[in-house]
Amino acid sequence: MSLRVILITGANGGLGQAIARSFLTESPDNFIWLGVRARRDAAERLIAEFPDRCQCVELEVTQPNSWKSAVEKILAQHQRLDVLVNNAGKHEDGLLATMPPSAWSEVIAANLDATFHGCQAVMTPMISQRSGRIVNIASLSALLAPAGQTNYAAAKAGVVALTQSLAKEVARMNITVNVVCPGFVETEAVAAMNPEERKGAQSRIPMRRFGKPEEIAAAVRFLACADASYITGSVLKIDGGIF
Amino acid sequence: MEDVLALKEKIKTMMVENLMLQVTAAEISDDLPLFGPGGLGLDSVDALQLVVALDKNFGLKIPDPATAKVVLLSVNTIADAVQKKLASA
Repeated sequence: MSLRVILITGANGGLGQAIARSFLTESPDNFIWLGVRARRDAAERLIAEFPDRCQCVELEVTQPNSWKSAVEKILAQHQRLDVLVNNAGKHEDGLLATMPPSAWSEVIAANLDATFHGCQAVMTPMISQRSGRIVNIASLSALLAPAGQTNYAAAKAGVVALTQSLAKEVARMNITVNVVCPGFVETEAVAAMNPEERKGAQSRIPMRRFGKPEEIAAAVRFLACADASYITGSVLKIDGGIF
Repeated sequence: MEDVLALKEKIKTMMVENLMLQVTAAEISDDLPLFGPGGLGLDSVDALQLVVALDKNFGLKIPDPATAKVVLLSVNTIADAVQKKLASA
């Protein structure tokens, strides 16, 4: 197998770390670019663990120019970009009646706009290569739209629709675009729940437990692998059976 | 003159290969409309691929839809744009 170049956004977070680690252990031929902003402590630890196999790249996902610089940097070093995982995102929950407009626009920007900018930034190299894999990370909120998440649910539903539309646009160029919708996963957001909230959430999951980041990462890795060559426009929910 | 013919052949071959067309390069006449009925029948996705292929193969950048409408009419118009690009280099 030859070199495969992979860019993961939100790579300093729990899920981003798990996805990066999953690719790193999949093959010694995988090189991982860790898209990070100000915080990069976890990314730096991963680089220390896998020297010469991964590298940080400064990336403000809501800014097209930042994407341009990051992709140029990657192409300058590797002359190719095989996989993009749009993992970065944020949520700011609250009832619509009292939601500040900034909470709406910032969440839409961080989740939906960012995915648009990322996909657009990698289009030219992937079309030029006539191959590519894009895996977008949405959320079960995109499908269930819980109360208190009008902004986040709308943004992630937008990511799902973007994925399906783009998949049709680029299918003939051997570029696949898929989206993963995780349910409750043991990351920063779940860790921030109080014990009562955790218990309530777990009671709604048929498997009666939260997912592990590694369980999401495994699906992302599969969608990006050669064996997933005929899967595009798919929406994969990973949620312990909710629905 | 020979150079222009060779350039047009190169463009046609590039189109057949990149767009996976079901015709041969020889079947594409120089002035055949690339889009619309009665022409080669390319669509917007083909146009996207063509823009990337022209940049990759000839360094010809098509920065906006207005330019695309002028350049991507036929093999003739593409060849003209490539020649102008080469002449200005």
